[in-house]
Amino acid sequence: MYKVTKVALLVGALLPTSLFAQSIEGVVINKNGKAVAGANVLVEGTIFNTVTDNEGRFVFDDLKAGPTELHISAAGFAHLHQDIEVTDQQTQQMTLTLSRSPIEVIDVVATPIHMSVMESASPVSVLAGERLRRQQSSSLGDSLEKIVGVHTSFHAKVASTPIIRGLSGPRVKIAQNGLDVSDVSRVGPDHSVASEASTAQQIEVLRGPATLFYGSGAIGGVVNIVDGRVPTDSTTRGEWLVETNSVDDQRLGSFNLTTGTDSFAFYADGYVRESNDYEVPVAPELEEEGHDGEGHDDAHSKVVENSAEESSGLTLGASYLFDKGYVGISVEQFDRKYGIPGHSHGEEEAHEHEEGEEGVFADLEQTRIQLQGEYNVQGEWISKIQIRGGYSDYEHVEVEEGQNGTIFENQTEELRLDTVHSQLRGWNGAVSLHYKSSAVAAQGEEAFTPPSDSQTLALAIMEEKHFGNVLLQLGARVERVSLTAENVLLPKIDAHGHDEDEHDEGEAGHQHEDEHGHEEGEGITRVFRADHEFTPVSVSAGVVWDFIPGYNLGLSISRSERAPSASELLSFGPHIGTRTFEVGALFALHEEGDEPYIGLTEEVIDLETANNIDLTFRKTQGDFGFVFNAFYNQVDNYYYQSFTGLFAEDGHDHGHEEGEDDGHGHEGDSEDSHSEEGDSHAGELPVFIFQTDDVILHGFEAQIAWQATDEFKATVFSDFVRARLKDGGSLPRTPPLRFGTELSYENAHLSAHLGVTRFQQQDRIAPEETVTQGYTLVDISVSYDVSVLDQDMSVYLKGSNLTNTEARVHTSFLKNVAPRPGRSIALGVRGYF
Amino acid sequence: MTHSFPLSLLAASMSVLFLTGCGDAETTIIEKDPIVGADDGHDHGDGCNQSNDILIDSKGRLAITQADSNMLHLFDLDDNSQLDSMSTVHNDMTLSASADFRFVTLKARNQDLMQFVDSGFWREDHGSHLHDFEQGPTMTSFELTGSRPTHAISHQGQLAIFNDGDAENGIPASVHVVTDNIISTQGEPRSLTFATNMHGVAEPRGEHLLASIRRDDAESTSANKILPDQVGVFHLHDGAYELEQTLETLCPNLHGAAQNQDYTAFGCSDGVLVAHQDNAQYESVKIDNIPELAGKRVGNLRGHVNADALIGIASGHGGGPATLVSLDPVANTMQALEWQPEANPVGYAFSYDGEQFLVLDDQGYLNILGLHTEGGSAHWELASRLDISQQDPATMPEGMSFTMTVAQNGKYVYVSDPIAQHILHVSLANMQIEGDIELDFAPAAIAWVGVAEQDSE
Repeated sequence: MYKVTKVALLVGALLPTSLFAQSIEGVVINKNGKAVAGANVLVEGTIFNTVTDNEGRFVFDDLKAGPTELHISAAGFAHLHQDIEVTDQQTQQMTLTLSRSPIEVIDVVATPIHMSVMESASPVSVLAGERLRRQQSSSLGDSLEKIVGVHTSFHAKVASTPIIRGLSGPRVKIAQNGLDVSDVSRVGPDHSVASEASTAQQIEVLRGPATLFYGSGAIGGVVNIVDGRVPTDSTTRGEWLVETNSVDDQRLGSFNLTTGTDSFAFYADGYVRESNDYEVPVAPELEEEGHDGEGHDDAHSKVVENSAEESSGLTLGASYLFDKGYVGISVEQFDRKYGIPGHSHGEEEAHEHEEGEEGVFADLEQTRIQLQGEYNVQGEWISKIQIRGGYSDYEHVEVEEGQNGTIFENQTEELRLDTVHSQLRGWNGAVSLHYKSSAVAAQGEEAFTPPSDSQTLALAIMEEKHFGNVLLQLGARVERVSLTAENVLLPKIDAHGHDEDEHDEGEAGHQHEDEHGHEEGEGITRVFRADHEFTPVSVSAGVVWDFIPGYNLGLSISRSERAPSASELLSFGPHIGTRTFEVGALFALHEEGDEPYIGLTEEVIDLETANNIDLTFRKTQGDFGFVFNAFYNQVDNYYYQSFTGLFAEDGHDHGHEEGEDDGHGHEGDSEDSHSEEGDSHAGELPVFIFQTDDVILHGFEAQIAWQATDEFKATVFSDFVRARLKDGGSLPRTPPLRFGTELSYENAHLSAHLGVTRFQQQDRIAPEETVTQGYTLVDISVSYDVSVLDQDMSVYLKGSNLTNTEARVHTSFLKNVAPRPGRSIALGVRGYF
Repeated sequence: MTHSFPLSLLAASMSVLFLTGCGDAETTIIEKDPIVGADDGHDHGDGCNQSNDILIDSKGRLAITQADSNMLHLFDLDDNSQLDSMSTVHNDMTLSASADFRFVTLKARNQDLMQFVDSGFWREDHGSHLHDFEQGPTMTSFELTGSRPTHAISHQGQLAIFNDGDAENGIPASVHVVTDNIISTQGEPRSLTFATNMHGVAEPRGEHLLASIRRDDAESTSANKILPDQVGVFHLHDGAYELEQTLETLCPNLHGAAQNQDYTAFGCSDGVLVAHQDNAQYESVKIDNIPELAGKRVGNLRGHVNADALIGIASGHGGGPATLVSLDPVANTMQALEWQPEANPVGYAFSYDGEQFLVLDDQGYLNILGLHTEGGSAHWELASRLDISQQDPATMPEGMSFTMTVAQNGKYVYVSDPIAQHILHVSLANMQIEGDIELDFAPAAIAWVGVAEQDSE
């Protein structure tokens, strides 16, 4: 946020916009009449933003006469919105009283209208400050999984991404400072998110459709990682951290620093992390019932092989500060190398080369340049203009046996221009213009999606107005998305079923050989140019009604449309990350006589549409607070993968020896074949085609907090989502019911937290899935603040999974090969200046 | 104030959308020519004991520049069909191929520019197998902008472009070395910058670059000072070449260079300088001019990794009859070929396997020389003299000539005839014309691109 100094205000006073300049003096106090120091006071939609002094006082000079709104926020208190009328009087005096909130309230920074856990019609969560540092992890999914409504895809710790209300991938947008993170994490569960929590300032989560702010990719929600890489002020401050962790010998070091002069601000952050393969309480591979699992316990050590990670990042930024805003630029270099457990060539071989063979690993590199600026026009019509631009160049190479297997690339340019208008008949709001262009390509064995270019141009408007004790929020966005792929390939594949009568036990391998004959016609690859033009439109309306002081009721209704992504439309090939042979929605399974074949689809490629209702009930103030959310989301034309019953070669060189047994027989059971390592069809992958159906997701999130004394606080939370096809059947990898509690003790020096989280059994499963058992995790963290050499530091100890429980994550593609880490103790030191 | 304009426009467009209620989706699919012969990439059969290579059997592609225009045309040599046409930045750019023949290179010397066109046909080595790719040709955004790019030489996967620099504007000479990988990934070219301009040449050789060095005019033994008289051995460090050694043997009026497997040769006014690596150092000798040259000097050299001998071409100033010599870099001897051209040669090339040497002349004859071994010593002999044009060579339009390009995946050479406006397929195995591509324009130059079958240059 831009802080106004007295000097700046004086300079501002000389400018002609302040024709009817007035000033306000105020004091912020709590319910007991004690001053609240350090509270942030913002005049809505303007440059004016200040912090109260030790007596709780603040002053604004040079305000424009007329109605406006103050927004006051302070740690531990509920935010206060106060409508005021700036009059022609020389100086206005006012007293503002804040109420306590046991639920932490932090504003979302990347949306042009005000949003926080307590105040907006649609649900948001923000992770910041000490809580962020406590929960941060090596992957984004694991960092956020303690937020209600958010689960992790737990990809063996290395590539976990967040799942919001059961949705992930192309439906959850990951943004860095409001701009697309531009990696390839949306197309493969084994692709890491190119962003880092340990240098972030706050991470914002918008649950439910957020296409309004972020476009097509945000139909299920948004995660926005915010840092101060383009500094907005030059106050010198910084933070550093070193930590080590026992379960994977992780060593982490990170820092961030902001400094500067009156006119220039500089920023730097960086981190280095290294970890080994992590330990688990049991043999990592789940034995299949009915399969011969003898000797496994001895054969496997209790670590998840190939789950080591090594990453580092450095970001530099600089801004020019002027009295009406700032403009700055930042450059980031991000490198990460991580093993991909389970990215093997089928179970049979994985057993053979346990020792001495290097696993598959990904080598990721990204350069990101971001530009940000803000100009506070303070005009009659326009209050301020914000600009965000980004260029990013991403590449990740999957290295197998020392060879570059597949190279993924993503080059993106993006520009966002938000124009916040001055309050107009009580309405605050903004118009947003958004352009994005990206070129995505994959080359090599796993290049299941052809290179494509996509362009998005969008116009959105968001408005809000207080009508007495009712806040109305409205929004609409129209987008033009074009997706072009020059060469969409449709090879003739030798896909075949696995029927009982076709295979005799034990001879399956030989039968195969016949089927895999290289007949004539094989080797013809049809080539298409695909050109898609989508015009998704999203509209939303929400109200927040403070029906009695301290309580509010929120209702949000939205209709959001999403253009399907390139991988959902154009894929054709083996995707080792999901252990499926993926075929995009452009294609469909046809039959010629008895022979199945894959050709172009006859269906219309249409937009996915989510109709979502969100109901929120909150107690916003007092020692006892809660937030309950319930949602019902009907998604028409939902793109998902469905098993065809066919199998195709996985495209890898398997080097099968003559006479090698092909596995456990082919009973034609498609169970476990999708994503499960127990799949017996070595060298083959089940063919999944993207198709569309109507889907219903509904569920709830609940948070209850009780500040028992100034030191003790107890929190209880729960979340649940049910994801089903309208015509019956469950969607795969849906998070189970979860509930938990956290007990906290915090005084001036010591802070201690004990968390217990229960994940229930998940038995509402997709046909290709198995039931996942429930488990309970117990975590504890203690931190003690010390001052050494005039530096504020805290020493902390974190224990996770203290009971050393076997915890398999239903939402993970690696459920059967990589459970959660076992008991782990982390020790770290943080410093601030 | 006009500020209300965007708001009202937005409001209007939004209300239209509300009325229609939902968005729109439009898909256009155009089927292109299928890729035939390409393995689908998924038939690594269980137990099948065959090669895992995914290869495309093709004759390759041909790039043709159109005379007096900025048009480049690409043809498929399997069915002689035109794949694509595209315009280049400048007219009459010099056409050639990249080191591994995936890219067409286009050079505009006076405009200081090199452009690269992806032929769309290439091979990747995936370790366990080779993988061929076949796509439509595209103009890449990769460009080189050295000053006066002149001689471009490729050797074993690297293409070295010598930028002569510009004395008038005080721009020194420089070298850019690119591989097909650098071009395809838009990487940084390896580079070398000199202190002064020169009309020089550079030969890439693994991590080394042998390049000409121009000394101070006072020291230089060259009569024409713009021609260098020394050769330096440069070593690649962090993407740039650094001088490691200056060869002792001088090479006055240096012009022309070539390599075979072990030796690098440079044409000098007093003979041919031959360098070769001996452990960490390069050694150099001079093969003196022979009387048969009759006052001319070797100013043009050809070599092939499979050919022991290099071929030198000596011609007088302003064209005139050329004398071809064979250079033995082991015995350090120079010998005139038995066969010497009657007409003025317009092109020289080794066949892709190094077993034949081709001389195309301005009278429309393709002279195919073969290596003949007699009593332990090999020498070049004329194997065939093919009349490739029915036209009267005197009607050749001003500024044009017959040109040829050698296929790198078989015994073929392609010859362009601007008078007849066609390209001939010539088989070097049976020394016959086997087909042609009719054009509706006069070809200025041609270059073969595609997947080379073995090391060649």
